[in-house]
Order: sequence, then C-alpha cells, then structure tokens
Amino acid sequence: MEAPPVAFRKATKRYPGAEQPALRELDLEVSGGEICVFVGPSGCGKTTAMRMVNRMVEITEGDILVGDTSVRERSPSQLRREIGYVIQQIGLFPHRTIADNIATVPRLSGWDRARVDARVEELMGLARIDPALRDRYPAQLSGGQQQRVGVARALAANPGVMLMDEPFGAVDPINREQLQNEFLRLQAEVRKTILFVTHDIDEAIKMGDRIAILRQGGVLAQYATPAELLMAPADDFVEDFVGADRALKRLALTRVRDIDLWEAPLAHVGQATSEVRAKLDGAEVPYALVIDSERRPLGWLSDDDLLRETVPARPDTSPEPTVELDDVMRDALSDLLQAETRYAPVVDADGRIAGVLSVEIVSEFLTSDEALTEEHSAAERAITE
Amino acid sequence: MAESEDVVTVSLAFLHAFGGAFDFILHQREAATKGGVAVGGPGYIWTFARTQLEVSAVALGGSIAIALPAGLVLGHLGRGEFFAVGFGNAGRAVPEIAVVFLLAAVIGIGLGNVAIALGILGLPPILTNTFVAVRQVDRTAVEAAEGMGMTSAGVIARIELPLAAPTIMSGIRTAAINIFATATIASFVGLSTLGDLVTGENIYGTDGVVAGAIVIALLAMVIELVLAGVQRLVTPRGLTLQRSREAA
Amino acid sequence: MNELALHVPAVADTAGKCAPGLPSSFCHHHSLSGCVGGNGLFCFGWAVDNFDRYVTPFFRHLEIVGISVVAGFVIAMALVVLSHRYRALAPPVLGFTGVLYTVPSVAFFFLLLPLTGFGLTTAVIPLTAYTLQIIYRNALAGLANVPPGAKDAGRGMGMTAQQLLWRVELPLATPEIIAGLRIATVSTVAIATLAFLAGAGGLGQPLYEQNGFKTNIIIVGALAMGMALALDLVLVLIQRLVTPWRKARTW
Repeated sequence: MEAPPVAFRKATKRYPGAEQPALRELDLEVSGGEICVFVGPSGCGKTTAMRMVNRMVEITEGDILVGDTSVRERSPSQLRREIGYVIQQIGLFPHRTIADNIATVPRLSGWDRARVDARVEELMGLARIDPALRDRYPAQLSGGQQQRVGVARALAANPGVMLMDEPFGAVDPINREQLQNEFLRLQAEVRKTILFVTHDIDEAIKMGDRIAILRQGGVLAQYATPAELLMAPADDFVEDFVGADRALKRLALTRVRDIDLWEAPLAHVGQATSEVRAKLDGAEVPYALVIDSERRPLGWLSDDDLLRETVPARPDTSPEPTVELDDVMRDALSDLLQAETRYAPVVDADGRIAGVLSVEIVSEFLTSDEALTEEHSAAERAITE
Repeated sequence: MAESEDVVTVSLAFLHAFGGAFDFILHQREAATKGGVAVGGPGYIWTFARTQLEVSAVALGGSIAIALPAGLVLGHLGRGEFFAVGFGNAGRAVPEIAVVFLLAAVIGIGLGNVAIALGILGLPPILTNTFVAVRQVDRTAVEAAEGMGMTSAGVIARIELPLAAPTIMSGIRTAAINIFATATIASFVGLSTLGDLVTGENIYGTDGVVAGAIVIALLAMVIELVLAGVQRLVTPRGLTLQRSREAA
Repeated sequence: MNELALHVPAVADTAGKCAPGLPSSFCHHHSLSGCVGGNGLFCFGWAVDNFDRYVTPFFRHLEIVGISVVAGFVIAMALVVLSHRYRALAPPVLGFTGVLYTVPSVAFFFLLLPLTGFGLTTAVIPLTAYTLQIIYRNALAGLANVPPGAKDAGRGMGMTAQQLLWRVELPLATPEIIAGLRIATVSTVAIATLAFLAGAGGLGQPLYEQNGFKTNIIIVGALAMGMALALDLVLVLIQRLVTPWRKARTW
C-alpha cells in the first residue's frame, strides 16, 4: 500500500476558556513515505497537532486530510485502526502477551487467526524482537524491548500513516541511539508517512526528512529539511532553538558510511605476531585490530600483546566503542570523546569490520564542510541583496 | 390484572405493618398474650435500647483500650505485620453469634461478660486499621521528628497518631457497628436488648417486631453518623488539604 | 426475658448432674458425668456420633452464601459499568450501599418480614446488600489504577469505549475486584449464621438450638470458619488462574 500524504489545512485547536489557541492555523503538507518531525518548546502544540490527525484531539477550525479524505469523514475508532500510534509511555497492555499486544489492531479489525499469527511473526522479525519473547508479558521485558513491541504493534495492521509521540523518550540514551538507528532502517524498508513529535532538536535533525518547528502558542516558525534549517534558520527563535552549535549539528546529517575511513592492520587469533608487526610499519592506524573468523572485532593489540608468540584470543584493549556504518557522525564523535579513545572500529549491520574511525577524520570533515557552509551562505546573501 | 393487584396488596400490607410499628413506638398498648401488661411506647423501648447502647459502649471502650495501643506500638516498630493484618482478616470470618454463646457458656452471662464477648469482636478491625494506618504515615515526617530528638512515645503521640487518626477512626466505626449489631442478639444470653422486641412476636405482635427492627436500624445509622462526624473532627486539617491537592 | 431464648446458666457445679440447658432426653442417652454431662469444652465422642446433624445446615449455609455473593457480584458490577460511563453516579451509589451496610442484619431481616415472610429470600436480600459496597468500591479502585498509558494507547489504536472497558480496563482491575469479592464472601459466611432468624436455616440453626452446649458451638464455629477459609482459597486460586501476568516479573 502506498503511504498517503498528510495535509494540515489551516488546522486550529482552541480549548474552551483558553485565551490563546493551542494550535494556530497550521498549514503544511507531509509527503507520502516521509518522516515529518514536529519539534518545539513545551506548549508549542506539537503533540496537539499530531493527535488531531487521529482525532484523539478534535479539530476546532480548519481540516486535516489523510490522502484525499478529511479525517472527519470517518468515525474516530475506524480512523484510528488505520493509523499507527506510538506514545512515550509505550502503553503496552500488561495483561496480554507480547504476541497478543502486537495482534491488537488486526484482531479488532477481524482478521482470521492464521493471518494474525503470520503477521505477528513477520513484525517481530522486522522490529528485531527476539522470538523467544513471544509469550512473555510486558513486565518481563526491558524498556528498549518494550519500545520495539510498541512500534511493532503500531505497524501490525499495515497502516499508511504512523503517529509517534516522543517514542524513545522513556529509554536511556544508549538504547535510544540504537532504537533510532533501527527505526530508520525499518522506515527504509516500509516507507510509511510518519509524524514524529520530539522536544529534542538533535533527534529531529537525525530522524526527520522535514522538520516543522513550532513556537509557543501553536504557531509554525519554519518547515524545512534539516539541512535548510541548519543553514538558513528563518528567524531568531529558530536560530536559538536549533542552537549555537549549528556546525556541529550538521554532523548529524552525515553518516559514517558517507566518509572515507582509515584502515587498521588486521590480526587473526593464533596468527604469528611477527607477521602483525610487519603490517604495522607505515600503516594509517598504528595499532592492530584482532578479528575473529567472522571478521568481527575482538580488541586492539597492546605492546605487551605483541611481545607474545601468537595473537591472543583476548587482547588487552577492548574494541569499544564500536561504531556502526549507519551511525550519524555526531553520535560516533560523541562515543569517541566519551570513551577518550582516538580510534574506533567501524562495523556494518552484521558486526563485521569495515574500517576505523578516528577523531582526526571527524575534525577534517567538520572543517571542510564548515568552509563549504561559509561559502554557501555568502553566495546566498549576495543574491538577495 | 392479578399482578397489579398483588402489588397493591403487598404495598398495603407493608404500609399497614409500618404504620402499626410506628404506633407501637409512640404509644403504649396491651401485650398480645400477657393480658393487662403494658408494652410499647417510647419509654418502654428506651429501656431496651439503653441496655444495648450501654453494653456496646463498654465493649467498644474496652476494645479500643486494648487494640489501639497495640496497633500503635506494632505499627511504629513495624513488627508483627502478619499477625496484625491476619488477625483482621481472620476476624471477619468469625461468626459473632458463636463467640457470644461460647463466652456465655464459659464465663457466664450478665452485662460485664457479654461486654467482654462483644469487645473481642471489636478487636480485629481496630487493631488492623491502626497498624496499617501507622505504617502508611509519611516516613520522612517520622524521621524528621526522630532527628529532632523526639522520643518514641512522642513520635507516636504527636506525629503518627494524628496522621493515622482518620483510618483509625474508620476501624473504630466498623468495630462499633459490628458490636452494636451483635448486641442485638445478646438477648439470647439473658441481656434485655432490642433483640427482645424483634424475637418476641407472641408478646409484642408483628407491630412490635417491626418497631424493634426500625429502632435498631435507626440507632445504627445514628451511631455511624456520629462517628463519621468524629472522624472528620479528628482528621488534621493539613491532611485534608494535601489530599484535595492530590485529587485535583 | 422472652420465651424464645434458652436459659443459659452461669457456671455452676454440674458434677453428676445433667448440664442445664440440655433437653432431658439428651441426658438419658449420655452418662451424667463425663464430657457431655459436664459440658466440657469439646466432646470428641459426641461430635463424631452426631456429625450428621450438621450436614443439611452446612449445605444450606453454603447455598445462602452462594446465592448472596453471586447476586451481589452481578449487581455491583452492573453498577460499576454504569458508573464508569456516568461518573456522577459513584458518590450516591457509594453512599447508598454504605447505608445498607450499616443496618444490622437482625433489623434488616425483620424489616423485610412483612414483605417477604420467613424463608430464603428474606435472608438473601440483606446479605446481598451487604456485599455491594465492598465489591463496588474495590472495583472502582481497580479501574482507577489502570495504567493511563495503556488506556491512551488502546483508544489511539481504535478501541471504542466499550471495547476498552471489557478488553483492557476490567481485566486489569481483576485483582482488586477479586480482593473485594474475597472480603465479601468471608463476611457473608459469618453473617449468614444469623439467617436462621429469617427462617432460612443455615449453620445458625443447630447453634441456636443448643446454644449452651460448648461442643456444639465449637463445631458450628469451626464449620463456618472452615467454609470461609475454603471459599477464600478458592477465590485466590481463581485469581491466580485468571491473572497469569502478575507473577511473571522476572527479567
């Protein structure tokens, strides 16, 4: 099914007794298959806007269209069964197993047993949920696992549109990064139209194809791609909200796979250390990385290690932090800085070594791009003047 | 046709019985069997009511005197939870009438002895509620008081008791209603309570029986209302404010 | 002293005499000295010989309790479903059921007398009324404790209010509901010992008929408390069966 576009047509929400509207004449279009992130300070109406799409909040003035039809045209329950809904508290049903939770909407829609079971299995694979958890209860799962179940549940009836309200907010930062990456991989496969709400501008830049920044009082300040937002903020509010470190934020737009990585000499367990020492001469990275038969990194060889006869199975230095090709540069740099190491092995989605990232690579990238930015905006200013 | 007639007949009988009952309460009359003896009327009924209220009050007093301090101490120390709560649960399963009869058979009858039996019935709700109420008192308030150098007795009296008071009162209310209700059947063990009226149809007639029932029910509600009022009085104002804030 | 009450004597020297309060026919069949004659605390021999006189009252008692608790449960839950929809109903229902609970059983039985006469109905109506408040209150508390995230997610996924109530809220409130049901059941077993006053039989009947004889009292007491305990356990088991997610807390 093609993911439909979602259009806000001067959508407004007024609560009785309130002076200001919670959302004021929001007018924008989210293209089919895109992620649109609503971001802004608290009270800006971002959650209200999202919840108007599935009528958890009723529209006061204006309209919202999903595809060609107004959301008002169908009953709320019917509408919601066709829209995926993921919330911050996750809201899994504690009294149902994981499989039952995922199967909720299909069952409500009257699918037959076989079809439901097949779909649950499919989704558990898609959302990377361990099949052994199928008959467990939510209380037995970690926060990260619960969140994955929440996403799988929202996708169960194959909706065209998904609404996500701070879905990764309840998870710790390490898991959050992982969940974000996994979700982006998922989206690359399923291509739904997604409305994503967050208060974190960094998450918005990472996740969004387009970003809608709202200011307090429910007014749209800017609707643009992340790059445009960083390079040309519409006004002072947007500039402040995005943050003074716009240049560094641009690191979130590039992935590790997009830049040239260094190569480290690779060593296999049991290999003679003399061979390894030979490789180290003149290598880009002055340390050897031990890998297993699957080409997965086991650790770095220290000087002590090199004094032995053969390469040990457990090298002195751990391979952590390990960076994935799909990681955004910003997260990779932050991992490097936090671990206080210069080099990090880069692995692909299966954990196999693909290269080495270093702090120097990142700073090279930063400076070269920054130079580009300066040129770019200078050129733009020249044109408008 | 017949159905609506039945309803009318029953309603009339009902009103008739109640009319008769109110008459019994308000005016004296002749006894049904013992010709010549005057029964009924407020004064007559009051003698029974008074006995019942007296024995209930004594029983409740004794019950509070034992269960309240025990619950306060256990709750303060945090010990004996299994017993304190279990006692309350077990107490609900005990048939009151059996306790009354058993104690009468073992230690005899008379107001004092019946009061003892009734007092035993009042122990479980008071003990359990007191224990639970003290356990639920905000620990930080207790710690602050202890940190300021208050003795255990002081903490119990000045912090735990006032804060636990509403729940304790609720337990006392339950005990009071149980005691008063059971005191009705104390007439089976020789005490002249309102149960006499209710089980003495051959002397007092149906009117007397229903009159007894009405008076028992009304008195029970009065006791409940009075104690509810006491509960409200005893609730510290700060607690009410806190609760209304949380509820908002 | 009215004629219905059996005279219960003060403790007196009863050695060699038939214990007062026991019908004389009784005394002809048992030795005048010994346990029964002296009204000892528990006469095992007598208990074994006479156990069958308690069978019918026991099952009658069970019947009374069963009908009352089931009827009370059904009515209380109907009120809960209504109150869930119309919030304003809760305070008056709580108030009314509370008032019902205050009326002592003896009074309640005899107030109903002109309407329903002696018999099972007169006993069951008050007993049912007493269960209402605790079940109703516990059920409402259970519903209030349902995690708000689960309710929001349920509605957001397209459940109607009814579907949410029956598929999510009530199942999650089950532990509290059963807790209330347990309290109601145990209390009803105890109060039903008075059902004989309404002419409905039950364990109170044999108790009353020989209310001076200690062994009799002990037997009735034990049977009643045993029934209460057994029913309580059954309900605990039912709760474990019906809420498998509660013990699953390992990870």
